[in-house]
Formats: sequence, C-alpha cells, structure tokens
Amino acid sequence: MKTRTRQAIGLVLGASALAFASASLAEDFSSGSQAKEFGLTEETKAMFSGKVVDIACELTGDCVDACGNGNRNLGIIRDADNKLVMVLKNAQFAFNGPAYDLVAFCNKEVDVDGLMVGDPEYYNTQFYMVQFIREKGAAQWTKANRWTAGWKARNPDVAEGKGPWYRRDLRVQKQIDADGYFGLGEKVDAEYRNSLQ
Amino acid sequence: MAFGRNKILAVLAVVAGAVMLSAATANAATSAKAVEIRGEVIDTWCYFSGVMGGEDAVVGTAHHTCALWCAAGGIPVGVLTEDGDVYMVLKIEGEDPLAQSDAVMEIQSDVITAKGLHYVRDGVNYLVVEEVVANDGITNTNHLDYGPVPPNSFPKPKN
Repeated sequence: MKTRTRQAIGLVLGASALAFASASLAEDFSSGSQAKEFGLTEETKAMFSGKVVDIACELTGDCVDACGNGNRNLGIIRDADNKLVMVLKNAQFAFNGPAYDLVAFCNKEVDVDGLMVGDPEYYNTQFYMVQFIREKGAAQWTKANRWTAGWKARNPDVAEGKGPWYRRDLRVQKQIDADGYFGLGEKVDAEYRNSLQ
Repeated sequence: MAFGRNKILAVLAVVAGAVMLSAATANAATSAKAVEIRGEVIDTWCYFSGVMGGEDAVVGTAHHTCALWCAAGGIPVGVLTEDGDVYMVLKIEGEDPLAQSDAVMEIQSDVITAKGLHYVRDGVNYLVVEEVVANDGITNTNHLDYGPVPPNSFPKPKN
C-alpha cells in the first residue's frame, strides 16, 4: 500500500475517532454556567444552545400553533449533539413546570442555563431544569419564572388570595375534595390524622 | 493496480461519510411502536430529581397530593411500569397533557393500563396514550411507611 493511501486511511480513521470523541466530550456543558445548585440526583450544571421544540410535534408530526400555547411538553434540541433534552422544571420553587418559559421561544434558537438531573446510568438519560433563558446570543438572560403569571392568567377567579397557588388551584382542590389527600378517601385521611394525635 | 488509489480513496470517503452520518443520526427519532403498558401515573420531576427523597417515597398515596400539585403546575406526567421504566406522556386520549382540564388530574397516582404509541429518543421513552383501557386506582399505600411527602401536603391536625 502506498504512503499516500496509508495517510488517507489514517486521516479517515482519525476523523471518525474525532467525530465520536466530540460527541462524547459534548456531554459536559458546565463551563460558564451560573446555575444554582440544589444537590439533586446526579445534578450537573448545564449551559447550552439549542432550538425549543414541541416534543409531540417533533416525534409524532402532530404539530399545532405556537407549540401548543403552554399545553404541551417542550424540549430543546441541543446544538452541540442534536440531542432532544426534555425539560421538566423551571426556576420557581412551587411545583412549576417550564412550558410558559419555553413557549415564548417556540421553534427559536435559545441559550439556556440550568441543571441536568437524574441517574444517567439507570435511565440512560437525564432531564433539564431551566433556570435562565435568552434568545441565542442575546445580551440579557431572563430568569425562567413565568409559570405563576401564566397560571394567574388562566385562573383569574383564584389568581389572588391567601397562600401559594397550589392551595387555591381549583383542579387540585376538586381532586382533594373527591378523594382526600392520599387519594383513597376521607376515611384513610382520618385514620392517618388520628394516628398523629 | 486493479483497485486503484482513487477507488480506495473513494471507498474510504464513503466509509467515513457513513461513520459520520451514523454519529450524527444516532440520536434521531425512531418510529412509533404500538404498545400496551401498565404502570403508575407519576410526577416525573420529583421522581427523577430526588428533590423530595428516594423513588419509593415519591409515588403512591404518600406523594398523591404533591403529584396533583405538580400535574396542575405543568410538570410532565409519566407512567412508571413495574420494570422501572418511565414513559413520558405526550398526549392522553387526544388531549394535550398540560391543558387545563381534569383528565390528567383524575389519574394521578393511579395504576393504569394504557394503549398507545411508544417513541424513543435519546434514551427517553415517550408515550401517546390513545386509550386508558383499565384503571386500578391507587394501589401503593406507602403513606403508611413515609407519611405525606412532602409533609406539608397533608394538613396539620387541629388541636
């Protein structure tokens, strides 16, 4: 085999190895992240760029206007490795999801900063908590805390009142009224309540 | 030379292209598979993040009220099977999962059997629930072990 041919083979193998190595190295997105840490399961800081997508649209072809206007689960297709990152949480501390924070950027390129969480060895993946978001390359970050405002807009009758939103949410209260706090009815709730006294 | 240098280079280029294309598309979506799965409807954030404790504590009756809060709060809902697999729900019987309806609320913590379409992307199982064919209700009475998780999800008794 001639020298140039051997060099070509080496070049091809090297490029292939580099492609796989790049994919592997892309797993660490912590550089430059300002995300707040919480000590969650296998938590790592992650700041990256990507495109906000409606996951149902992306996977099934069932697409609607404006990524569902907050009614659908959204994700981010990460530029670095083309992975679809499912976002489970925003930056608020009251059981709030990310849809209202992401939907404003439906099908747009964004930069996000937050945390990857979950045991990747057991589940073969991790999920994302978005804490900050901005249009890709923009100067200013926006804190991902839009959920409560979205809930108030959808629930004007109970938007203001005593206690956090989840104590006033009508859908939550309807289920608790019907099935109790443990979901098995008032008798089970009463047994537990009595056990505390 | 019967197989000249240019041909070798052409073959190598094709191989390299295939390798790189394989790497680039390794994360692409797969086609849907019709499935019937049985499992508990769970709050996926508390389950995966460990924010409120171990996996055994953030399911069942112990976590029922928190699961309601999270479902109403727009945390994605999942179905946890006996094998420990979690299917992230993209639709429930034609309805978007974060729509402000009661459908997703009524099945929190229930063990359901669902027929639907299963997709896998980048290690995540996704499920379009076409029909809930059975609902066994809440079967895991783990509040007997853990109490309410978190504790403030059950009202303090009045003295």
